[in-house]
Order: sequence, then C-alpha cells, then structure tokens
Amino acid sequence: MNAIKKIRFQFAGVVLLALVSGLIAYPKLVSFAPPVERFFSQAKVNLGLDLQGGIHLEYAADTTDLDTSKRDDALQAAVDVIERRVNAFGVGEPVVQLSRSGSESRIIVELPGVKDVEEAKSMIKETPFLEFRELAGPEAEAQIDAANAQSQETAGKILENALAGSDFTELAKTWSRDPGAKENGGELGFAKSGSYVPEFDAVAFDPNFATGSVHPALVETTFGWHILKKLDERSTSAADGGEGEEREVNIAHILFPKYAIEDFPQLRYKATGLSGKNLKDVYVDYQSQGVGSPQIALRFDEEGTRLFADITSRNVGKPVAIFIDGEVVSQPTVQAEIRDGQAVITSNFTLAQANAEVKRFNEGALPVPITLVSQQSIDASLGRSALDQSVRAGIYGLAAVSVFMLLFYRFLGFIAVLALLLYSAMLLALFKLSIFTPFPITLTLSGIAGFVLSIGIAVDANVLIFERTREELSFGKSMRKALHEGFRRAWPSIRDGHFSTLITTIILIGMGTGFVKGFAIILALGVLLSLFTAVVLVRIMVNFLFADWMEKRPWILVTPKKLDTPKN
Amino acid sequence: MQLPIIQQRKYAYVFSGLLTLASIICIAGWGLRLGIDFKGGTLMEVRFTETAVPTADVVREKLGAMELQSLTVQPTAERGMLLRYLASDETTNSQVLTTLKGIDPAVEQLRVDFIGASVSNQMQSQAFTGTALALLGIALYVAWAFRRVSYPVTSWEYGAGAIIALAHDIIITTGVFSLLGHFSGVEVGVPFIAALLTILGYSVNDTIVVYDRVRENLLRARTGTDFEGIVNRSLNETLVRSVNTSLTVIIVLIAVAVWGGESVRWFAVALLVGVGFGTYSSIFVASALLVSRFKMKFPKSVTSV
Repeated sequence: MNAIKKIRFQFAGVVLLALVSGLIAYPKLVSFAPPVERFFSQAKVNLGLDLQGGIHLEYAADTTDLDTSKRDDALQAAVDVIERRVNAFGVGEPVVQLSRSGSESRIIVELPGVKDVEEAKSMIKETPFLEFRELAGPEAEAQIDAANAQSQETAGKILENALAGSDFTELAKTWSRDPGAKENGGELGFAKSGSYVPEFDAVAFDPNFATGSVHPALVETTFGWHILKKLDERSTSAADGGEGEEREVNIAHILFPKYAIEDFPQLRYKATGLSGKNLKDVYVDYQSQGVGSPQIALRFDEEGTRLFADITSRNVGKPVAIFIDGEVVSQPTVQAEIRDGQAVITSNFTLAQANAEVKRFNEGALPVPITLVSQQSIDASLGRSALDQSVRAGIYGLAAVSVFMLLFYRFLGFIAVLALLLYSAMLLALFKLSIFTPFPITLTLSGIAGFVLSIGIAVDANVLIFERTREELSFGKSMRKALHEGFRRAWPSIRDGHFSTLITTIILIGMGTGFVKGFAIILALGVLLSLFTAVVLVRIMVNFLFADWMEKRPWILVTPKKLDTPKN
Repeated sequence: MQLPIIQQRKYAYVFSGLLTLASIICIAGWGLRLGIDFKGGTLMEVRFTETAVPTADVVREKLGAMELQSLTVQPTAERGMLLRYLASDETTNSQVLTTLKGIDPAVEQLRVDFIGASVSNQMQSQAFTGTALALLGIALYVAWAFRRVSYPVTSWEYGAGAIIALAHDIIITTGVFSLLGHFSGVEVGVPFIAALLTILGYSVNDTIVVYDRVRENLLRARTGTDFEGIVNRSLNETLVRSVNTSLTVIIVLIAVAVWGGESVRWFAVALLVGVGFGTYSSIFVASALLVSRFKMKFPKSVTSV
C-alpha cells in the first residue's frame, strides 16, 4: 500500500513538472487565459546573433606597450569606452566583453539586430587611441641623420650617372622628390637671380656654369641635395628700358630631400606612458581673465597626475604632444611643472571646436589600440529563416524518432515518447529560465543542432533499458520483474555511454569558439538532462502506468523477442 | 538464430581496409578543403534584386580587377550569391560591396564572416589541442572501462581494438570530406572538428557496450568455451540495441541535414557519416579484432577448444 502511495506521489510530481515546463516552454497552450499566458511569457529564449540577425566583432587589443600590472585596467577601460560608444548607437542589448585567447586579449562586441553593419563598425573603429608624448632624445636625431646620409649617398650616385651622360629628364622623373618632377622632368623654367635659396642661386647663376652641362657637384640647400643642369640662358636687357643686363636661366634639377625632425612627429616624440586611460575628466573651460576664448581642461587620475608631474618637470619650455591614433592633435609647450594633475590646452578655439575636441577626448580616450580580427554579421531575415529551418528540422526529427519508438517498443515506446516530449519542454524551459540567472544560455544555430542531436541520444538510454527488458522477458520472467531487471542492468552501460559523450563535450566547451561552444554546451546539458529523464522519469511513469492486465498481453509492452538465444 | 558475423569477418576486414585505404589516398592526394576558420578570409553572402540576377561568371569578371586570392562565387537559392576569398580586411570587403553595387545598386549584404590570420591560426592550434585532449580522454576512459578484464585477451587489447575502430571511423569520415571537398567544394572548419570529436565520444560508447557484453558472457561461460562463439553471441545479443540507438541518432541527423539549413548541413553530414561507420565498426571491426587477436595468441586453438 505504501509503495503504491509512493508511486502515485512520484507520478504527481512528474505531472507537475510536465505542466510547469510545458507552460514555460510554450505559453500559448493557455492562450484562453491571458493572465496566465502573460505570466509564463515573461521568460524568453535568448536567441543568438545567427538566429536573430546582428553583428559579432572581435577586436585584438595590443597591450605590448603596457606594464603587465596595468594591462587589465587598461583593457577594462577600453571596454568601458567601447560600451559608451555602442550604447550611443542605440541597439537592444549590446554586449561588450573581454576575452582572453591564448596570449592575446580580445574585445568582443555583439550588436543584435543592427541594420547598418558598416556604420556600426565605423563608429567603433573611429574610437581613437589617445596618448601624451614628449620630445625624443638624440636617438631620433640619429635616425634622421642616418636617413639624410642615405639620401646624400644616393644623390652622389645619380650625379655620377648624370655626368656620365644619362638622360637627365628620365633621371629626374625617377629620382627627384620635387613634386612636379614627374611631369616636367625637373625643369624649373626661366627665373631671375635671387629667385632661389642662396646656395642654389649661387650655382645656377655662376657665369662658369655652361648651358647644357650638369653641375659637377651636389648643391646642398635646406631642402636637400640638388643635381643641377643648365638648360638655357637669356638676357632681358635694356630692350625694355631696364638698367644694365639681367640674366635669366632655365635650370632643371633633381632633388634628394633632407629630412628634419619636425617632419616626423612619430620620431620627434616618444611615448611617456601617459595615455587616455589616465584621463579622469575633460571639459571646456574659459580662461579666467576677461572674456577669454574657450580652452580644454584636462584632469588626470592619481597615476596620471604623477606621470604628468614627471613629464612636465623634465620638459619645461619644451613641447609635449597629444597624439590621437598616431597623429598630433596638439603640441602645447610646457610653461611650468604641473603637480595637481590639471592641465589646460589653449588655442584659438571657437566654442564649437572646443566642444568637439572634448567629445573626441572623452569618447575617444581608448587606452589601448585595437584592430578588428574577426567579424560575423548576419541579416535579420537570414537569421529568421535559419531559425525556422532548424526548428522545423527539430520537429521532424522528434516526430520521426517518436514514430520509431512507438513502432518498435509499443507501450514502453509510448512512455519513451512522453518522456522525450517532457525532455524537450524541460530543456526549452531551462533555456528560458536561464535568463534570470547569472548564466544565461544563448541559443544559436549550432545549439539547435546540439539540441536535435541530444533528442537522438536521449532515447539511447531508453533503448538500452527496453532491450534489456526484452531479453529478460525472453528468459521467461514476469513483466514486472523483467522491467525491474531491465532498468537495473542497463544502468552501467547508460552511465558509461553518457560519460564518454560528456568527456567530448567538456573538451569542446574548452575549445571555446562560438559554433563549437554553443553546440557542446547544449549537448552537455541535453546529455545530463536526458539521463534524468530516461532513467528517473521513465521509471516513474512505467511504474505508475504499468498494469497487471498487461501481463496477459505480452505484445503490448514491447515487440517480443524470439526465443532463440540459448540460456546459460 | 544467430548471424555468423565474426565467422565472416574477413569480408568486413576487406571492406574496411579498402575504405580506409581509399580515404588515406584521398586525404594524402587532395587533402581537405579548409574553410575560412582555418586559413583566414572572408565569406560574403549577398542578394540581388529581382530584376537583375547576374550569373556567377559576370560577378567573377567584375571582381577580377581586384585580384582577390582564391575567389569563389557560388549562386545560392533566392537570388543570392556566396563569395569566398582569402583577404580579410575591411577595406577589401567594402570594395567588393562597392563593385557589386556597380552591378546592382540595390544589392543587399546578407552575411559577412571574416576571420583574420591571427584568429585562424589560433583556431588551428585549438583544433589540434582539442583533438589531442579528446583522444587522451577517450584512451583513459577506455583503459578505465576495461580495467577488470584480463583473460583470455587483456584489457589493453580491448582498448587497442576500440581505438583502432575509432581511428577507422575518423579516417573514413575525413576521407569522405576530402572527396566532398574535391568534387563539391565542401569546406571543413571548426564544426568539422567538433563533429569528429562528437563521433569519437559517441562511437566509443557503442564499442564499449559490445565489449561489455563479451566480458559478461566470458565471466559466465565455463573455461574452455569457444571464444569466437562467445564474441559472436555477444554481438548478436547487442545487435538490435546497437542498431536502434544509432538509428535514432541517424534519424535526427537526417532531419538536420535535410531541413536544418545550409549552415548546419555539412556538420550534420559529418556526424551522419561518422555515427554510421561508428556503428558498423563496433559491430564488424572492433569485435572481430578481438577474435583475431585471440587467434594470434593461441594459434592452436581451433573453433572450439
């Protein structure tokens, strides 16, 4: 009597479980009672980007220039900046998260339901990298000197060619760095004395420089090294009443440039370690005296204050440059050491310019440079049809498996099908409920594949049990006994089988890439849940629904097995 | 009634041997066609407007000037076109789109997947370590599952049998995809590796259930009983179970392959091939190997001792 009570109690539990998970999984069941439907509709499946459309971006963050201890902070700051930008874009539920893969740090941005992928990307990409730099020392000068020595050496070689009679025009087209040399072959046209820089002028108007000849030495000016050829000479003499004789010469030249440190802000300045991550605040301020033009005020955090004090103390009277994405935006001169972490940039800003700059600083204070390394974007309509297709595949698969189980295992098959439906509802309910937990499950296309595969695997355990039962029946045992034995003896195999699948899913989850992870997580969940369904729930249902009248009608339980195996 | 499966094992050996050999030849000769997961690159799907659907040749010609590396253009259903090429930077991608807009100003960009070289390299190494770990895990599991069998064939020999059967399943599945890659342009990516690992996990279990039964029957049998007969009986006893569990999985995989859509189709096919051969090999190869090994060890024992 007690045993029967227990069975009834357990079965009532199963019914309750079925009811609740069924309602969560498919609230439309109670569309006749709108309040109840509304209640259960609160939980929604969290659809992946590949099912609802959207964009998934992965940026690699370059932290090689940062101290190990500061990397995490800098990355977090970068995530915050991107988050602000993405929020401004106004899509529903964007995700910006940090992920470490190997030695590389990645920032993952997911924007569900984004229509204009290119615009979204450019908004994130525009995000500049801001840093402060100070004047580089002699090493930068040395680099410039080396480049100039190289330039001069090349010039010498080309001069030899020109003197040896190579076509001057061709040489000029190939080598001259004078803009326009490509078109005019270096020809400068007639000019009077005094039109050129003195060193150039002196040679060009040297009376000993014969027309048609190449000057035998390089001419050095502030622009660089020149090879000169005198093409022609004429005099605009007294004919127009001028005094004395005025000579005009037509010179062609080949220019090899001389570099100055000012031409290379990248070389001129070196990193100070102070970057956008140290900025606490940037705002528009007014110069205190008089009306004043707007200026940009900067406030640094604690570390920034210290760094800024160091930088300003060693650079008084020298410029410190502010770079955004490797370009100088401002190079104010340090007036005095600044210890309080507050600085102003003054320039002839209009209010609008100052505001724009501040916005740029604030939104663009990305502490680490980032590059896009991977993108997956899917149009919403494509995602929608993928969802429809996979749900249809799931339903057809479920239906086919059900038919198979019913045909092959009859009454037991019927119970297995009930369990399978319950299993599907429970898994779906689990997905939906997970959004209320810290570990929301996102259903992706690969996840659905894992789900469908788990339907196939879910009946595995039942097949094992039912086959064992059939075997025990063929030994002539009573149905009740055979069922009991079936459950008991199939257990080791079921346990082992699920175990081997779990091993692989755990490794797949560890591999961690999108497709694989979605598949493996849901397969693992499915394997665990199906273990419970197939072993516990099916046993309860069998215990409750099995009736003694079935003993007389053996065909109803399972397809009987032919008694051909010799008994041991 | 018992099917003489073990007795006819030479046919299974020939069949499996030929298939494995053919697979190895395919893999060595053609290799696998790697998708963008593994070599980096871009996959772009676009849809043209109703009035103007250019042919793949036209699209290829228009894009010709850009000199995209390994460009393939493949029309899809519903006025779509699938482009694949090696470049994986944003500027190239937007140039491609601009070029396509030159053909059809209203062209829609449905999907862009691109994977940079650093990511694809990392996926390659992940795939390797993942597979190695899975193999290790399976080997340990097999060793553990057979820890208590010793006579007449030792537990490590059971393990070796199971692993040979697994290698057989994996090689044939890879061979099939080498063939598909060569003739139908099917690419393998991370999902393929996931499929292989899933096959490993699923199919070793099938083998273990058969071995389990062999062990059980051996323990029950009196000494001096015919080993080949016991294995064959064990196989026959578990045959329906083996076939039925695999069938249910195969049924759902067919559903996914047929109705599940383009993105998961080849993933499902890989699983289908692997699970199919996995079932076959646990019946016809893994158990047969046990008997062959037994005969090697005890050459004098005839069919019944």
